[in-house]
Amino acid sequence: MSAEFFSHTSKHSLFFCYAMLQDARDYQILFLSGFLILGIATRDWTLQFDLMAVVFFTCLLTQALATWYFHRPSNPSYSEIFASLKSAVITSLSLCLLLRADSYFTMLIAANLAILSKFFIKFQGKHFFNPANFGIISALILRPDAWVSPGQWGDDWWYGLLFFGGGSLILKKVGRWDTTVAFLLTYSCLEAVRNVWLGWTWDVFLHRLMSGSLLLFALFMITDPRSIPNARVSRLIWAALIAIFTFILRNQFFVSEAVFWALFAVAPLTILLNFIWPASDFSWLQTTNLESLSVAKDEEPLGIAQHTI
Amino acid sequence: MKIWQVLKSALVAVLLLLLCVPAAQAFCGFYVAKADSKLYNQASQVVIAKDGNRTILTMANDYQGAIKDFALVVPVPVVLQQEQVRIGDAQIIERLDSFSAPRLVEYFDEDPCEVLRPMPAPGASRGPIPAMAPAPYQEDSLGVTVEAKFSVGEYDIVVLSAKESDGLETWLNQNGYQIPSGASPLLRPYIRQNMKFFVAKVNLAEFEKGGYSFLRPLMIAYESPKFMLPIRLGMINSTGEQDLIVYVLSPKGQAEITNYRTVNVPSNAEIPVFVKAQFADFYKAMFNTSYNREGKKVAFLEYAWNMAGCDPCSADPLNQEELKKAGVFWLTPNGNNNVFVTRLHVRYSRDKFPEDLMFQETSNQQSFQGRYVLRHPFKGAVSCEAGKQYQKSLPARFEQEAQTLAKLTGWNMQEIRNKMKQLQSQQTPFWRSIWP
Repeated sequence: MSAEFFSHTSKHSLFFCYAMLQDARDYQILFLSGFLILGIATRDWTLQFDLMAVVFFTCLLTQALATWYFHRPSNPSYSEIFASLKSAVITSLSLCLLLRADSYFTMLIAANLAILSKFFIKFQGKHFFNPANFGIISALILRPDAWVSPGQWGDDWWYGLLFFGGGSLILKKVGRWDTTVAFLLTYSCLEAVRNVWLGWTWDVFLHRLMSGSLLLFALFMITDPRSIPNARVSRLIWAALIAIFTFILRNQFFVSEAVFWALFAVAPLTILLNFIWPASDFSWLQTTNLESLSVAKDEEPLGIAQHTI
Repeated sequence: MKIWQVLKSALVAVLLLLLCVPAAQAFCGFYVAKADSKLYNQASQVVIAKDGNRTILTMANDYQGAIKDFALVVPVPVVLQQEQVRIGDAQIIERLDSFSAPRLVEYFDEDPCEVLRPMPAPGASRGPIPAMAPAPYQEDSLGVTVEAKFSVGEYDIVVLSAKESDGLETWLNQNGYQIPSGASPLLRPYIRQNMKFFVAKVNLAEFEKGGYSFLRPLMIAYESPKFMLPIRLGMINSTGEQDLIVYVLSPKGQAEITNYRTVNVPSNAEIPVFVKAQFADFYKAMFNTSYNREGKKVAFLEYAWNMAGCDPCSADPLNQEELKKAGVFWLTPNGNNNVFVTRLHVRYSRDKFPEDLMFQETSNQQSFQGRYVLRHPFKGAVSCEAGKQYQKSLPARFEQEAQTLAKLTGWNMQEIRNKMKQLQSQQTPFWRSIWP
């Protein structure tokens, strides 16, 4: 009896240790915080710490309250609610990195709607808007004082490498390389064709692609395995569509936040694509190969919509 | 005939005069000098007043060559008619320049034996402009259409649209505008983007009749979502660095560049007192150091402030009449001057700035000013303990100021220390070393 008990607990603790290292969200938090610190330290951002505090506080509080409220029937424990905050931290970091505003209220709206979108806008239990993207677009539509700064990272090659390094580690874990590659490839091809047609020299093309903001978007935002299509073929089509939309918005309508609008517009297609090419939903711990453990199955006991950015 | 000017009319080799403006009190210090556009011998200045898609763009002409050789070719997003073009007032650009130029501020330490005084702290209506309708002329065999042709003041202006860059180049050459070799490939992207060409040259008879001694700025008004400045054409013959100062006037907030980083110039640095006599050198060296440190590929923000809310202001803010002359079209007669001024300083070169500058207006209301502080130590006799502490702290402060200066400008540390010592020995009476 005691031996059995021992083996059971050690199996559990082993799993938890493993899971801590395996959960891609931990890496995501690590990298995004790193980028934020790096950005604040080395780039000339107009970041205000009080606004960032509002974002974090609103995201975490909304996530905790919504988790509790929407999952009352299963009577969630504190630890379960606490575990769900991980994705709220990622949303907060993304909003801090990308969204700029001139008032607390705008940040509050963005953070609040970003988290609530996961609970309210769902189809068959799956949310299809990237929460941070939803927050950004909501702020841009609803508030006059929100903006994004596409030029904020500049075009230094070592930032590109850094984003690629961090992004590839996470993408390897979640297996969503295809999305980034499809997006960047489609977008580069379109920009290349435009470049040739206009007759610009190739440094114009490279300069347009080396934008740190574009890479960050391609590696971290459109690869959210919880909200993007499940089947590979759907993801390729989906990512290519975002690239095409971005290209049109940027070059034809001169929209500086083109990538975010493109993702927002294409996101609902996830439902259709998942219907045409069905595949199983992503679970954060499916890559751990420990599905046999009952804990792994309990990963989403509340059906909480988790996500990367 | 030598012609070709794009947003950048050519240069003045202005010798740097240190502008010791009569001290005006502001920011609880005294402005003693400013680093305005006269510092740079190749600075072009552009004022962009923008609200939504409506833009009034003013291009300053500091062209110094023979007037008959002057010509300006600017790609513009839409066809412009005569009523959309006006002559601007060069003085207004000077006013904007001196209003927003980086400042040297001077403070005098109080008697440390007295209690310090508190300092004051610093602190949005729209109107439409009529839309214009184009009236195209006939296209010729070169594929060039003269969309409009008119004279404004001393300028003869044609607005062209073209189908092929070769045709446009030929047309310009045939009509007395000599295009430098290599222009055609650079004209093509603008033609393909369906942009028009605003071409101006000086009508000598009008110029002489007006008795002008210099070319006045040209202003154009248009409606387009394109918020950009074409800099590529200006680099046609030059691989060197060119300075461009852009003043964006907006009812909304700060403007920024979307395809290059916008970086604040180092500001609020306390520097040694001797810099007062060489502020122009200081600012140029500091700008150059920052420019190199950022890899020569960023735009610098030198000033951002809402003109309605600057109190105190670094200079007299422009009044409504002056703002109108600067192209501001959204003010109502009795409303406040809701104009956010963003001064961007771009030093660009062909290899680091391959793309034209793209801008966006943001609602960022954060104020910023390039500001450098001189703090004169208290020279009177001190008797209290605090005063003695104060005097003891001075050498460390001077050292810190010297280090800040060396870091900002790249100047030699030893030379800075020597200059500081020289100044101190000149100013401090000899007896103070034994009778403090």
